[in-house]
Amino acid sequence: MTNNKKSIRVEIDTYRDGEKTIIEYVFEKRELGERPMALDVLLQAQAKKIPDLAFRFGCRARNCGVCTIDINGRPRIACRTRVREGDRLSPIATLPILSDLVVRRDGIARQLRNRLPTNSQANELNVEAPEEYHQLTKCIECYACLDNCPMHARNFTRGKPTDTTKPPSDTQQGYRWGNPFTLLKLQRVRMDPLTTTTVRESAVDTAIMLGLESCIKCPGCKCGVGINLKGVVIKPLLEAANNSGRIPPE
Amino acid sequence: MVEVRKTIAITWLNYDVIVVGSGGAGAHAAHAAASLGSQVLVVSKDPIGASDTKISEGIATVRASGAVDDSETELSTNLQMAGGDLPLRSITNAFAADSEHAYDLYRVNGLRPSIDTERNKPLSLPLPLGGHTKRRSVGHENCGVAFSHANWQIILQGQNITYIEDAWFLDLAVRKSPNKNEHGHSINEVVGGLIYHAANGELLAVRASAIVLAAGGVSTLYFPKTDTMRGNTGDSYAIAARAGAELVDMEQLQFLPFCLASPPSYEGLLAGEPVTASFLGVLRDKSGKVILDGVYLRTRAECSAAIMRAVEKGDGTENNGAFLDMTANKKAPLSGAYFEKFLATCLPSAYQNVRQALSKKAGRCEEPWEVRPAAHYMMGGIRVDADGASVGGPNGDGVRTKGIKGLFAAGQSMGGLFGANRLGSTSLTEGAVFGARAGRAAAAYSRNSDTTQNVDLIFKPLIATHSQFFGQNGTLSATAIRLALQEESWNKIGPVRTARRLQEMETNLKKWRAKLYKIKTSSSTTWNQSFIDLQELRNMLDAAGLILASAYERTDSLGGHVRLDGKQISSFATPYSVIVRSISDGTYVARRVIRPRTALKKIISYKIQEQKRLLMARWIRLLPKGIQDKILLKRYQAIMGEDLKAQETFPGAPEAAIGELTKP
Repeated sequence: MTNNKKSIRVEIDTYRDGEKTIIEYVFEKRELGERPMALDVLLQAQAKKIPDLAFRFGCRARNCGVCTIDINGRPRIACRTRVREGDRLSPIATLPILSDLVVRRDGIARQLRNRLPTNSQANELNVEAPEEYHQLTKCIECYACLDNCPMHARNFTRGKPTDTTKPPSDTQQGYRWGNPFTLLKLQRVRMDPLTTTTVRESAVDTAIMLGLESCIKCPGCKCGVGINLKGVVIKPLLEAANNSGRIPPE
Repeated sequence: MVEVRKTIAITWLNYDVIVVGSGGAGAHAAHAAASLGSQVLVVSKDPIGASDTKISEGIATVRASGAVDDSETELSTNLQMAGGDLPLRSITNAFAADSEHAYDLYRVNGLRPSIDTERNKPLSLPLPLGGHTKRRSVGHENCGVAFSHANWQIILQGQNITYIEDAWFLDLAVRKSPNKNEHGHSINEVVGGLIYHAANGELLAVRASAIVLAAGGVSTLYFPKTDTMRGNTGDSYAIAARAGAELVDMEQLQFLPFCLASPPSYEGLLAGEPVTASFLGVLRDKSGKVILDGVYLRTRAECSAAIMRAVEKGDGTENNGAFLDMTANKKAPLSGAYFEKFLATCLPSAYQNVRQALSKKAGRCEEPWEVRPAAHYMMGGIRVDADGASVGGPNGDGVRTKGIKGLFAAGQSMGGLFGANRLGSTSLTEGAVFGARAGRAAAAYSRNSDTTQNVDLIFKPLIATHSQFFGQNGTLSATAIRLALQEESWNKIGPVRTARRLQEMETNLKKWRAKLYKIKTSSSTTWNQSFIDLQELRNMLDAAGLILASAYERTDSLGGHVRLDGKQISSFATPYSVIVRSISDGTYVARRVIRPRTALKKIISYKIQEQKRLLMARWIRLLPKGIQDKILLKRYQAIMGEDLKAQETFPGAPEAAIGELTKP
């Protein structure tokens, strides 16, 4: 049983100035039977072996969405994912690496800059939102959903960032092609009872412009906090696009 | 051997207003300034919106949401009384005045609360939260995450707003103004700031006449004994103090009493609030002796103090905490089921933490929880007026001409609103109210000032200082010093303090400060973690120095400041605040300013009410079990309704205010 051991050995991929080094780290359990989270391992490695190890974290309680890393090649929220002997910790493969486990996240949000109109203050604000709306604001922006996304992959060649330090497009513009997160933001605007018809339609236009047709043949995306992305984001957007005749039906 | 240093590129930029921080206060400040036509730069070291607002319980004070007769005076007085008369009246009045509508900007940007259709207002929780005398706290689906979606929207879609994330605001550029104040002293004024854009690997020298610091608190000084965001490294306080600004009430840190002490992954995370203990919950020391009863009626500060005093006496539990024993609630044959429901619904995320972290029996409240306080909120901060402008001077309210002209603060960065104790649900509103006020004031100030001409020389020493931190030769690591600082901060300037510990901390701080220039850093320009670590350590050292000097000055206990070697300051004593500033690198001086006291009649009536409630709680606990159970059943049913099935609620819902005897 792994649990009776006093330590857990993991591998951490670190990147400095474009060079990759795999560092083996042996986590020393702090109490009997401890099952540490990936974040615990990173914090201990920083304290004991690699003082300037670069990684993001925030709340340690799966709320802030910044500590996402790949564990054995799959995106995981580091503060709430337990590690096992031999696990490999690396930066998420879907975004360009800045240093060690830190990736550049900015190009994702930035692609929606000035594309999601805010409702005017003159509106009557005392309106309830439907339950589906609250499904969408559950998103903690962890970017786990970028994994295996064919739309996001169009931003890169051979499925990997073309450049490991900078997004391929202008950093002030964000990525050309979309992803489940940006589609969720567009769908949020559509579900908001205060959104005007014009804005609702322009949200569909934006989704199409960001490459919504990639979703037609895609089996679906996976959310880091359990939102049914296919059901509450992709399907309604595809339906709206079909209805307006701008995307061929599935 | 000569090491070749890479030089870091410097980009010069011009803005009207820089906002540091992208949480609730930062977003509202940016929006307000931009709406008045200012060109605004938002700088955030964490991803946009990844702030304490995002991870909060998502309950906001909205005045008049629950009652027509919820006057500004009443809310302002609630804040005054809770804060031990330390808050500034002008600031609590501003909060009370704006708190009815400031929150609407969140709603314009997509925050959708439930609506009270009869009153056509956001639906407030059915009972007032502790310390509030009216229902005025509005809860939200998905807690703080729902607020952060709105902050994200405000910043990303804002006209006239430019934003950068992964960027550390390092220091203010301040010059002595050619103008003098009425006393003939020269005035310090902001001319911009220096920023490390880690993602781009460059320094940004930004000329701007107004800067709003909205960069959060300092709880990371106590990591891992905190439930807040990692980024709370005291940046706002340190940056302001280094520029010569005054700060206020920095000894007043709010510790949440009931946080987890183990296992390590969960250390510091919230387990419950005083109200969680419900009618029969008590605090016990390691031998089972009751150290605090009537827990559900106590303030956070009282509970924290009780736990830490037991630990000091050697009666603490294995992980230096105490036992929160709620088993009597659970055992009651009739009311036990109601308690269980209450526990699961009043703070779901906290209860979730407990169930994941502790044993199954503890999760069912069949055995006591081991709890320990954790750092949560800095109630002090930068000394400002009701528009968030930096002020200074000997009198209570301070004047702008003695502050730093062009410097503004909002949210947790500012002081003067909460004093010695912060009421539940007020911090999200604080961000909205004072973010907007500071943003407006900054825009107005920047329009009328011309402080961006011929200022490049002012940046020179800043650029030189910070460039040296790239590729610094040395043998030490910032991480090692930070870990020592965090441990000692808990022991010496944490939830309990003594003169001797403060002295020891002072020695430590001097020692660590001297080491700053012996830390080895990389010369990389893109995401240089060792440079970032050094900068954050420097801020934490300054913030610790400010807390320390203030804690020295207040020799007795009040609110979040507990002096084991002093007595409890009476509510009838003349209230005072501690003002602190840095006079040179690592040297801080503190002094007192007298505050007006709430009318004696009000204090006495409040005290009598409080005693009555505590006696009642004690009396119920001592009744024969059968009678006790019947009384409690009625009480639970009065608040939660008789049908347990109907009680699926969200954070802080009706039951969260179970301690209050106020009727909905």
